[in-house]
Amino acid sequence: MIQNLLNAVVLGSTYSLIAIGLTMVYGILKILHIAHAGVYTLGAYIGLYALYAFDNNFWIALVLAMLATGIAGVLIYRGMYYYMLKESRIVPLISSIGLFIALQELFRLFAGPYQKAFPAKSGFPRVETSWFSLTSAQGLIIVLTAVSFLALYLIIGKTKIGLGWQVCEQDIDMAGAMGVNVNRSIALNFFISSMLAGAAGVLMALYRNSVYPTMGAMVSYKAFVVVVLGGFGNVTGCIVAGLLLAFVETFLGHLEWFEFPRDAIAFLVLISVLIFRPKGLFGRK
Amino acid sequence: MRLKVASITVLLVALLLIPAGLAAQDTIKIGFFAPLTGFAAADGASALAGAQTAVDFINDAGGINGKPVELVYYDDGCKADEASSIARKLIERDKVVVGVSGSYSTPTRAAAGIFQAAGVPLISSYAVHPSITKAGDLVFRVGMDASTEGWAGAELVVKQLGAKEIAVLTIDNDFGVSLGEYFKERAEKFGGTIVFEKRYPLGESEFRDVLGSIKDEDPEILWASGYYAEAANIVSQAKELDIRCWIVGQEGYDSPKFVELSTDTSAYGTLIVTDLNRDSDREIVQSFLAEYCNRTGLDADMVGASAFDAVQVAAYGIENGGVTAEEIRDAINGIENFENAVTGPFYGFSERRVIKPITVQIIRNGEFHFFMEFTDPDIITPAP
Amino acid sequence: MAIGYYLTVGVFMGIFSILTISLNILTGYAKQVSLGHAAFFGIGAYTSAMLTTNYGLTFWQALPCVIIITAFIGTLLGLPSLRVSHDFLVLSTIGLNFIVGGVFRYFSFFGGSMGIIGVPPPRMFGSPLGNMGYFLLTLAFLILTILTSYYFSKTWGRLAMEAMGEDEIAAKSMGINVPKFKTYAFALSSAYAGIAGALWAHYVGSVFPGNFSFDRSVAILSMLVFGGMGTIRGALLGAFLLRLFPELFRFIQDYRMLVYGGILVVMIRFQPMGLLGKGSVLWNGLEWFARKIRGGPIQEGTT
Repeated sequence: MIQNLLNAVVLGSTYSLIAIGLTMVYGILKILHIAHAGVYTLGAYIGLYALYAFDNNFWIALVLAMLATGIAGVLIYRGMYYYMLKESRIVPLISSIGLFIALQELFRLFAGPYQKAFPAKSGFPRVETSWFSLTSAQGLIIVLTAVSFLALYLIIGKTKIGLGWQVCEQDIDMAGAMGVNVNRSIALNFFISSMLAGAAGVLMALYRNSVYPTMGAMVSYKAFVVVVLGGFGNVTGCIVAGLLLAFVETFLGHLEWFEFPRDAIAFLVLISVLIFRPKGLFGRK
Repeated sequence: MRLKVASITVLLVALLLIPAGLAAQDTIKIGFFAPLTGFAAADGASALAGAQTAVDFINDAGGINGKPVELVYYDDGCKADEASSIARKLIERDKVVVGVSGSYSTPTRAAAGIFQAAGVPLISSYAVHPSITKAGDLVFRVGMDASTEGWAGAELVVKQLGAKEIAVLTIDNDFGVSLGEYFKERAEKFGGTIVFEKRYPLGESEFRDVLGSIKDEDPEILWASGYYAEAANIVSQAKELDIRCWIVGQEGYDSPKFVELSTDTSAYGTLIVTDLNRDSDREIVQSFLAEYCNRTGLDADMVGASAFDAVQVAAYGIENGGVTAEEIRDAINGIENFENAVTGPFYGFSERRVIKPITVQIIRNGEFHFFMEFTDPDIITPAP
Repeated sequence: MAIGYYLTVGVFMGIFSILTISLNILTGYAKQVSLGHAAFFGIGAYTSAMLTTNYGLTFWQALPCVIIITAFIGTLLGLPSLRVSHDFLVLSTIGLNFIVGGVFRYFSFFGGSMGIIGVPPPRMFGSPLGNMGYFLLTLAFLILTILTSYYFSKTWGRLAMEAMGEDEIAAKSMGINVPKFKTYAFALSSAYAGIAGALWAHYVGSVFPGNFSFDRSVAILSMLVFGGMGTIRGALLGAFLLRLFPELFRFIQDYRMLVYGGILVVMIRFQPMGLLGKGSVLWNGLEWFARKIRGGPIQEGTT
């Protein structure tokens, strides 16, 4: 029982970790950033090649992947979304989709279509008690999700950067008038959220022991379920929603007769929640 | 601007009209399609490499009746409508003599009808759906039939390993479902009981919840269908949850990637019912394995071997039949003890489905090794 | 000649043009962005495939049922749109792909994972349609779709939908029955998609749950936006070009989807209204050209 709960917590943490970045981007720009899934895959690949270069050291891989994806995020904003802020919301959505398709193809052309193992050595201990056991990858996921959530919480609540984001979230034009450097604020938002996507990519690669070009496909829709359930742009809601979704899936997964696909369950949960609470579970009215 | 638009239009039309047959006409063309992009791109790459290896072998040996073989291939993205247009393109524009599918069931089924109607034989490598060979008298399959593979699994699990309590985990596509039906039917006939059964979707990576329920049932054997990515997750997570029963897989596991992607030594001891026997002393097997590795830098898998065999059978049909569909069809139907196949020898064809030995491989020290082989006609002849 | 190949490419272009035009009603006019159009497409394909293989109906007998059933299910699945709006709706429509696909796969009534095989080609004048016949049939349906859609775009219904799409509250205050028109848009759009699905199923000859997946929906919406949302000409051109590109670029097979993604990004970045949308370079040029030929005075702002 405890073991099952723990497994669900780990699964939920992975969902939340992937979704936090998306929800941040949505909060500030109100765009459905599907290419986030491409950034996530980029993180996994950078991590993989860093492992090859640095003797399978997990921590170097993590840091390099986060840096690279952070920069990639800023580039995506400056190179693409920046020009679309005044357009209708479908415009960034479609270009985001195009970018995601192109990124997946780039990964395939560069690294080959095959899944690759992720032979990282993290040195994180395995926890073993008589009630449950937690592999080192699972432990890492829980700890790192908690750390990034805390860090984000502090950045949003206690720093000028977070204040800038909050102002931009309310009204971008107004934020400019109030002396917030809007562009820098958005770029920073993309930097941090993409870094989190990169971290999620590395962690998932470690957890599933595989990196492949289409690994972002699941993220491109599943993470949005978490984002919406949590109420677009709400970081705390995002964590709770990720865990909740994992618990529902794990519970239903245990039932032998229930074979409805996992992804369909997620969306059924989503739509039934939206019918009763059109702004998500934790959305502000 | 208008000029630009006009010239681009002209260019696009011109591109569409460029005849594909730029190559010399004195080659024998074999058409090929596989998913080179999209979620199945890895299998497409393996299939293509296998087919190209076969073409190299044939050409190094002097081609077919002195003419070199040319492989014309396209990417179907694992989509039925792309496969439909590719099938027509191969038949009408490239004028291929035989088609070979290195793709999954959905595109292969769509293409099979077109090949049949156009009077061009099609040989499917590993697509399992029973309806494919029912498309007509020109559509063949060299991969294992769902029935033989399922029966061999039941024979192995119940008769050879003596397991009575069996948990079944099925991948929810045509491959897994049809395989599972045949496996369960035979296993129950032999006196086995299915204590747990569940389907899961293609691409699933989280099995801890299902495996938890399986652990509660404490079966003697876990028979799980799936491809190597799912399989690697299944064995890794089973190990993590300390499930100690035998795990028996099938051809979908058959790739060195299965061992690579599973954590530590969790894949060791897994039994795999497949058709590629890497320990075989037949010369064609060893030279194929060496050449495939040489070409791709990766060890061969079942998909690559099946595509290789499909091209070999196509070449045999052309060499011993001729260039018309009927001649090729009759030549392939007349095959007996065909040694040029990696997953063979092919004893013959039953309703255009191959009859060949089925091997069981075991993972030992991270490598595929021979465990046992089935050659009993009762097991290896596909169900009517 | 390889006429059969061109006909096949043409049939799929026609089917996707119908899909894009149908999505235009929902997304272009009523501004309900949908990433779930493949679900309606799939429902049409499954309905027609099941009625003809399991219940012995002909293509022509099944067609009215397909239209009614897809319109009905479209209405049902569109109901959440009455409560949910904007990006929440986009995400709900993504869910439709997975839920509808899951239902096809889960219930053996729909053939489960084994799909439905042996969907017969339609018969006309006593014999099954050949490739050329099918192309003409698709073309006829496409023209019918264009005409009815064009007619619709000239009615009050479209104005009401556009008003509702721009500003729901304002539309309400003008006396437009917003729930009615939303449902109407979903039903209409879904019925057209159902016809496209039937055409697809009978042409390919088999349907599987995986045929109508999320990436299909993405492709259909991309076609619409690429060509120009809110216009029939744009929908047509988008479907035509985005089906053509992957086929044209077969000679650079390994890079063709990369090129596809790249074209999408670059195109939308510089022409966000779509190639033939209102105010696009190409459309402005064509209008200017048309006026010049007609010799009339050049007026600004007319469409």
